Amino acid sequence: MMSNMNMKSEGTINKKARSMGSIQWLFQAATGAFIIFFLGVHLYVAHINGGSPVELFDTVVGNLSNPWWLAFFLVFLWIVTYHGLNGLKGIIYETGISTRGRKGVSWAIMGVYIVSIIYGTVLSLVVAQMTIP
Amino acid sequence: MPSENYVFDIERNDGKGSIRHDRFQVPKKKISTVLEGLTYISENLDGTLAFRHSCRMEICGSCSMSINGKPRMACSTIADSLNSEVIRVSPLPHYEVIKDLVVDIDPFFEKYKSVKPYIIRKDEEEHNKELLQTPEQFKLYEQYSMCIKCGLCLAACPISGSDENYIGPAALAAALRYNLDSRDQGSNVRLDITGGENGTALCHYAGECSEVCPKDVDPSKAIQILRRSGIAHELKQFFRREKDARR
Amino acid sequence: MPGGNTGIIGWFNFLHKGIGFFAYAMHRISGIVIVLYLYLHFFVLSNLLRGGVTFNSLITSFTYGPYDIFIVMDILLSLVIFYHGANGIRLMLNEAGLGLKHHKLLFFVFESVAMILMLLFLYYAWQVLLSGAGV
Repeated sequence: MMSNMNMKSEGTINKKARSMGSIQWLFQAATGAFIIFFLGVHLYVAHINGGSPVELFDTVVGNLSNPWWLAFFLVFLWIVTYHGLNGLKGIIYETGISTRGRKGVSWAIMGVYIVSIIYGTVLSLVVAQMTIP
Repeated sequence: MPSENYVFDIERNDGKGSIRHDRFQVPKKKISTVLEGLTYISENLDGTLAFRHSCRMEICGSCSMSINGKPRMACSTIADSLNSEVIRVSPLPHYEVIKDLVVDIDPFFEKYKSVKPYIIRKDEEEHNKELLQTPEQFKLYEQYSMCIKCGLCLAACPISGSDENYIGPAALAAALRYNLDSRDQGSNVRLDITGGENGTALCHYAGECSEVCPKDVDPSKAIQILRRSGIAHELKQFFRREKDARR
Repeated sequence: MPGGNTGIIGWFNFLHKGIGFFAYAMHRISGIVIVLYLYLHFFVLSNLLRGGVTFNSLITSFTYGPYDIFIVMDILLSLVIFYHGANGIRLMLNEAGLGLKHHKLLFFVFESVAMILMLLFLYYAWQVLLSGAGV
């Protein structure tokens, strides 16, 4: 039993040695830095300089109909979803799941990411076309 | 009025899953350290108590255990400094228990070995004289060479507690120790391992390894430094500015 | 399982731990909370498709009643977000090997600055809410 365990730990350590662990970290840090900036602008626009909450619809549609703001929010959406889901993936990985489990989680998270950003992008584009009543 | 005895509350484990707690009265004036308390128990109260120890002076790294909820060396933990009449002793967390306070430390050494903690030379066969090093070059890695392989850091690390594949603080600090050594030429080989999925990427700088380290090696600091060189190494490889150093 | 792996529970056991561990565990918890909120946010924004009248009355109900309990949730959320952001910047620096000598001090400095910014943000956002109440 003891030798089994040793083989297992040795095997997993050596086999998966190369898998871009550091680059993953770099991406998470870089997206985090972007989010500090994006979220700062977002909070300012939505809560301080966004007019009355009673007429929030007008503000949102007004903002999104400007292509620059639309681009801003789309990039924000892609980055913030990446950062959040990638962080979640790391947390799930570290619960000690198997290599096969990691692969499954990785694909699942990627699927959720793609669905999320497609939905968010379509939603933003549709809202941008809406008219203020 | 303070009592004349410490109460040692020891978690006993027969290694087959049955756990019980035994309480022993140990006279305060007979002991100074927790290890002395355990020795007193085994000599006078219960000879079946299993625990590992050797040097009694924080050099050998054998008597690691959980004392009052924190991983510590029994030999260097003064009972009086715990400010408690009851001293709770249990086996080191994150390791399989063999019996009572004796844990299987093999996985720790497997991880340690995996980072190749020895000097790697490209001129392995040719060199036949001593490799010289100045005191300044020694100072660079001196701190990380103080590790006594007691395994406390692995017991304190929250990630090691959930993911057994994580190489862990001691091994990563050892990797940095050899990477900083002027006589070594194997940095790239080690960075391939420590920069991988089970290396520095799993550290989130909770810093508990450094909190419990009896020799002030500061493994968490070592891991962050190693992470930076790992990123540089991986980026260089990515842009093919560096020959593949694997094998 | 005493002696063996403490698993996920060990991530949140604050007993006998240092400030770095607290920062780490809270970063993890706040991160999960923010991801959950992100999807709640997507859900709420989906109501934009239902038109201006419906969306505005929805937002008004969250802000001025009858569901204004969400204001409290929003304040808690801003606490979580500002905490995560400040600690995130510290981790970014520390994990890149910068400021390792003073990582504990950096934690307090970054968190203090973030909390001041948060109070400023909440103050101005609150003014906007008050000014909108009469509309």
